[in-house]
Amino acid sequence: MQRFKLPPQVVRLVILTVAIVASYAVARQIFVPKSFGQYGHYRGDALKEIASREPRYAGQKSCNECHSEVLVKVAKYEHKNIQCESCHGISKAHGNDPDHHDPIKLNDSLCLRCHTRDVARPLFLKQIELSKHYSGKGKCVECHIPHQPNEVP
Amino acid sequence: MSKDTSRRHALRVFGGTVAGILSFAAAKTAKAVVQKGLVSTGAPKGYDPTKHKWLMALDIDRCIGCGFCVEACKEENNVPQGASYFRTWIERYVIKKAAPGSGNMRGECIVDSPNGGRNGFPPSLVPREDILKAFFVPKLCNLCEHSPCVQACPVGATFDAPDGVVLVDPNYCVGCGFCIQACPYGCRFMNPETRTAEKCSLCYHRITRDLKPACVEVCPTQARVFGDLKNCTPDDPIMQFITKNKVQTLKPHLGTEPRVAYAGMDKEVR
Repeated sequence: MQRFKLPPQVVRLVILTVAIVASYAVARQIFVPKSFGQYGHYRGDALKEIASREPRYAGQKSCNECHSEVLVKVAKYEHKNIQCESCHGISKAHGNDPDHHDPIKLNDSLCLRCHTRDVARPLFLKQIELSKHYSGKGKCVECHIPHQPNEVP
Repeated sequence: MSKDTSRRHALRVFGGTVAGILSFAAAKTAKAVVQKGLVSTGAPKGYDPTKHKWLMALDIDRCIGCGFCVEACKEENNVPQGASYFRTWIERYVIKKAAPGSGNMRGECIVDSPNGGRNGFPPSLVPREDILKAFFVPKLCNLCEHSPCVQACPVGATFDAPDGVVLVDPNYCVGCGFCIQACPYGCRFMNPETRTAEKCSLCYHRITRDLKPACVEVCPTQARVFGDLKNCTPDDPIMQFITKNKVQTLKPHLGTEPRVAYAGMDKEVR
């Protein structure tokens, strides 16, 4: 019986096709990250990598651990809802090691950032025009106590 | 052709297939080993992105334009110092009175944002008597449900994470800038140092550690409220905010369905 035989050019074509498809499959295995498609059309590990960065602001909870007595005091006054780090700046290093004191950025321009009069500023906020409010050379803190702002001279 | 050659041919094909499968498996193992070595994860443990849905809400009536949020964002996320690189920024809207007798409801709207509001705002140049009203609007990534930036990315480097945050994978970003053009809210920029697109990540490294984003942390008036829609009680600040205020989103006509909610927003805000 005459055995059916594929023509050699067809065999070559089949081998070539299989080789291309196989090399594509191998390349895909190597180059596509393992976590690709874990959540969607992107690398799932990217989430972990982005999350792995260290925070710089310690967060209010961290301040509460040691400075509860200050918070009790501040809670009676208008600045009660302001977080420590709003005025005192990044404090992660200080939170990790209490002996390490970050520079405290408290100065007059910081007070004025919120309390200078501006047309767009909502009226619940006490606002001043510095030239009318005070003409001396002293600092805000000479009269005002930032933790007890209601006690105005 | 003899029967013998045909057997040899069959064996060759069979051998080739086995070798192919083996090399395939070997490549897979080698890749796993290499990846394990390269990727070191200092990521917080026990965070499951499918169990959260983050949301930011902003109260325009409470924003005082101090710029603490802009400053904190730059510090927390190493955002370049230039005046065009912001993950969050504040805009001041000054709406003038309509010309007398014009019959218009309101006049020209002037928006400014000097250095993104980072150092606060100088007094407005519009004379006080000409101003109808003025307010500050904090801006950030709108966390769209249907993000145009994600659709525009040709390499899958930016994506909607399952927890609702739109993130950029800096290792895969090729810096083509399509996403920057695609974002209708102007929330993206090209980082000149890394040459990759950058945007608000909702402080992903903080929220996964149970901390608030830096801007929310430092906001002195609680104009920014942050929460998790999948894990919140009715007295959660975010639920209180949505319950008590009439909230809306920016450019709702675009169909991007932002999840950043604004309360007290005026017609001019865009």
